Amino acid sequence: MTITLSGVSKVFGDFTAVHPLDLTIPEGSFFALLGASGCGKTTTLRMIAGLEEPTAGRILLGEEDITGLPPHTRPVNTVFQNYALFPHLDVQDNIAFGLRRRGITSVREKVEEMLELVELGGMGHRKPRQLSGGQQQRVALARALINRPQVLLLDEPLGALDLKLRRQMQLELKRIQTEVGITFVHVTHDQEEAMTMADAVAVMDAGRVEQLGPPAELYEHPRTTFVANFLGTSNLIEAEITATGGPEGEELEAKVPGGAGTLRLPAQRCAAPDVRAGTAVLVGVRPEKIALRLAEDGTGDGSGDAAGDGAEANGPGSRGGSGGTRNRLTGTIRDAGYLGVSLQYIVEGTGCGELAVYEQNIERDERLRPGADVVLDWQPAHTFALDAAQSATAGTEVETEPDTEEKTA
Amino acid sequence: MTAAVSTGTPPADPADRTGPAAPPRRSRRRLTAYWLLLPAGLWLAVFFVAPFFYQASTSVQSGSLEKGFRVTWHFANYTQALETFGPHFLRSFAYAAVATVLCLLIGYPLAYMLAFRAGRWRNVLLVMVIAPFFTSFLIRTLAWKTILSDGGPVVGLLRGLHVLDVTATLGLTGGDRLLATPLAVVCGLTYNFLPFMILPLYSSLERIDPTLHEAARDLYATPAATFRKVTFPMSLPGVVAGTLLSFIPASGDYINAQLLGSPNTQMVGNAIQKQFLNVLDYPTAAAMSFILMAIILVMVTVYMRRAGTEELV
Repeated sequence: MTITLSGVSKVFGDFTAVHPLDLTIPEGSFFALLGASGCGKTTTLRMIAGLEEPTAGRILLGEEDITGLPPHTRPVNTVFQNYALFPHLDVQDNIAFGLRRRGITSVREKVEEMLELVELGGMGHRKPRQLSGGQQQRVALARALINRPQVLLLDEPLGALDLKLRRQMQLELKRIQTEVGITFVHVTHDQEEAMTMADAVAVMDAGRVEQLGPPAELYEHPRTTFVANFLGTSNLIEAEITATGGPEGEELEAKVPGGAGTLRLPAQRCAAPDVRAGTAVLVGVRPEKIALRLAEDGTGDGSGDAAGDGAEANGPGSRGGSGGTRNRLTGTIRDAGYLGVSLQYIVEGTGCGELAVYEQNIERDERLRPGADVVLDWQPAHTFALDAAQSATAGTEVETEPDTEEKTA
Repeated sequence: MTAAVSTGTPPADPADRTGPAAPPRRSRRRLTAYWLLLPAGLWLAVFFVAPFFYQASTSVQSGSLEKGFRVTWHFANYTQALETFGPHFLRSFAYAAVATVLCLLIGYPLAYMLAFRAGRWRNVLLVMVIAPFFTSFLIRTLAWKTILSDGGPVVGLLRGLHVLDVTATLGLTGGDRLLATPLAVVCGLTYNFLPFMILPLYSSLERIDPTLHEAARDLYATPAATFRKVTFPMSLPGVVAGTLLSFIPASGDYINAQLLGSPNTQMVGNAIQKQFLNVLDYPTAAAMSFILMAIILVMVTVYMRRAGTEELV
């Protein structure tokens, strides 16, 4: 069922965990709340579950206002971060707990069915402590799903699992969600997890939703520096808008200070408000969109494809309304990393700081070494611009695992 | 969670890793453990095992103080003790049982509050639970004598509320007094053994992850059902430990009956004391001690079986 949060906020003492929040989570969707620890995503989830009372605002489930309802009367179930399995009950009693509390006594068949769904057949008589982390996780999932809730809330459900198991459970969760068709609200600090599983992602920071949309949209069209940096990596270059309009009416030109060059981008990819000539912006481009080649090989369009420059990126008449003119910067390679599937370069750009470039590992140019002078170019269509009034490094801080405490507790 | 709950297996003896190549070192390590056991072992041998067998032999002696006692395997001491002091035994277990139940009823809410609701006051409150131990058991019980005295405010209040009439009909008090009644003895026992109930209850409640309460509430359990199905079952080890720690010493206690009771409220402890120190009938006194010990052992064993604590570590 559709969940609607309208103006929901939560204040603890003098700390505002969630600023007034408006959010609509459509029925049957897999919705992710993504953010670093302390951004308010778990508090938001707990308010939907009824474990935390909103300071202000209303929570609707379908048409019904559930804001003041105690948790045991809400048709919503939660998979907790540390699973919170009842240690004194065996697996099947854990799973049957919700049904029994609602006065349903013939639970046997449903429990068996649930155990099959999460692939734990025959484990019904074990105690939670006799199970591995992944199995406990699945019991927690079964214990919530057996109640056929209108909404399933998942609070970092995979946080305590190791990487390989986490990948496997991501696919599993997605499969189960498709199978049962319940609305899933998934809280995570792992952007990859959110991107893999969710239909829609709300990126949260400091108690606010920064941006909401399907994963691809968030990645391709970040509207804030936090989203640009938190989801993947972005190169953000300080620049100044020099011209609006462009030959086809929908293009912006931005000049990088120090005469390093002029960058073009489609006007609808600019998130800065009130753009006119002279507006300072942060021009952004994702590292994998950039083609890298040696300066000595010349700079002509389509002349070189030394670094695995895709055919799509060249050629006249390719998309990106600037008639094939690619954005171009120069620089010197500072660092080169070999990651197997890709090659990652840090380039000291002329007049624009360090830029990250990812190249597919197809034909590796041995001359692209630290110290080499290079030309970077990319399509204007892959360029975006953000409001320069925000911190260019928001969302780049190294993540501290928020769940280490629970794991050792 | 599981790490906190399970008692855990002791870490592997590091000596095991040295393998068979280094036997002298290994055996020295092994010996160290026994050396460490020695003080406790000696203490137990001198103050428990030796008196135990000494009393066991006394309990089957016969004779008199003038002619001296000799081991004659006189098991009649036991039957005699039961015949003469049966009411004392019954009173002991009845008072101890009532006091234990009262301890549980008073102690559980308190321990629950300490574990889940006390916040930053927790340590202060815990110290207050233990604070009575800074005064001697005897003095605390004597203080109760003053509190419950005939002219005291407690009696006055209870008389005014006609509570004493109710307890008198129940046979717990007599006349218009509290002192020298079974109720006074039970009150004293409850008071004195309450901390032994609260502390184990607290420690088992405190280990319960509060998320489990949230999980139960999330899974359609009302607050009452959450308590019945999650909190209480998980606190059972504490309930078992607390009831044992208050029931066992309470049933052997004689100070409370001595100071707060009357000749009609004497417990088995009083009888044993009198036989040992006043009547100087050592064999009967020893036999009573053994009967008390045996009954407690049987009761505890049955209780532990029923409570099934091994399931709940």
